[in-house]
Amino acid sequence: MENFYEEIAELLEVDSVSGQETLLSFKCWDSLTILSIIALADDNYGITLSTSEINDSKTVDGLKNLFIQKKS
Amino acid sequence: MENSCYNPISLAGKKFFISGAASGIGRATCILLSKLGADLILADINQKGLEETVSLCKPTDVTVVMDFSQSGVIKEHLSSLVSVFGKLSGCVHIAGKPYISPLKSINSATALEVFQINTMTALELSKVFASRNISVDEGGTIVFISSVYALVGSAANVGYSMSKSALHGITKALSIELAPRKIRVNCIAPGFVKTKMGDSISHFFTEGHDEKIREMHPLGLGEPEDVANAIAFLLSDMSKWITGSIISVDGGFTAK
Ligand SMILES: NC(=O)c1ccc[n+]([C@@H]2O[C@H](COP(=O)([O-])OP(=O)(O)OC[C@H]3O[C@@H](n4cnc5c(N)ncnc54)[C@H](O)[C@@H]3O)[C@@H](O)[C@H]2O)c1
Repeated sequence: MENFYEEIAELLEVDSVSGQETLLSFKCWDSLTILSIIALADDNYGITLSTSEINDSKTVDGLKNLFIQKKS
Repeated sequence: MENSCYNPISLAGKKFFISGAASGIGRATCILLSKLGADLILADINQKGLEETVSLCKPTDVTVVMDFSQSGVIKEHLSSLVSVFGKLSGCVHIAGKPYISPLKSINSATALEVFQINTMTALELSKVFASRNISVDEGGTIVFISSVYALVGSAANVGYSMSKSALHGITKALSIELAPRKIRVNCIAPGFVKTKMGDSISHFFTEGHDEKIREMHPLGLGEPEDVANAIAFLLSDMSKWITGSIISVDGGFTAK
């Protein structure tokens, strides 16, 4: 999970992200960005996420916790 | 008078190589070709699935486990298989892998793996098949399976689309190059068919997606047998004047 914040920042189209930021606050937050997070999770972490799980995670750290939980 | 029906789609006495035989469209194709009298070499990465399929075909059919993400596997296996099994009248590349990803998350390694399985394997199979050591002297027939998404655009699908639309280029180019050898090359572009492939990507989509997809097909979603029927036609002599064609088998998806 070392590069998690960098990877998510790239998908959210910003230079960097902090854990407390809400996902809805990003300008590019839309269905394609959600799909790109599902694809990243599949490709880089070997985990399967759904749109509703991502939406429910609410913040960047919520998303990180979701990744950690799925990996374990 | 002889009591047998005229059956121009009979494949009796013909031998075919089928990739992707362990599941879905590949399995349905093997079962149909077998019923039409063909002898088959069934290839897939999934051994258990291959065993299930072959149990529904002829006991003399041959299975071979191959991982098409590795280049060169067809060449490695096919010469020795054919020396025992006999020369082939045709081959069908059905094995394939989806890749859902928007542009911004496209991963080069994954896109190349999908391209290797979906596209380069089709080219490698054609190259091996076109050799006179492998295909019968009378020529033969090659069939690829692309997708409606090689013909129309769809978001988050560029990795899959490019792998499938490249099959159309291969079909056109090889149909000309191999015509003097009497080898026909055609491609089927299916719409959505109910198989494991759809299940494997269902987590990408929200509720209501299935309904939307269904609405895109005036004749409803397809069954694996709908594509298998078109494959059988392209392998049979009924299609002997057809080459270089991309045939839509899509319940009307691209008619709109
Ligand atoms: N199902 C559809 O809606 C649909 C629509 C258009 C096109 N297609 C195409 O039809 C073909 C068959 O798909 P399906 O729906 O029957 O899916 P499927 O998942 O049931 O079958 C695909 C087969 O390919 C095999 N395969 C995958 N990777 C492999 C590898 N590395 N090496 C060897 N074998 C491998 C799988 O084991 C499986 O048996 C694919 O090329 C697919 O792209 C399917």
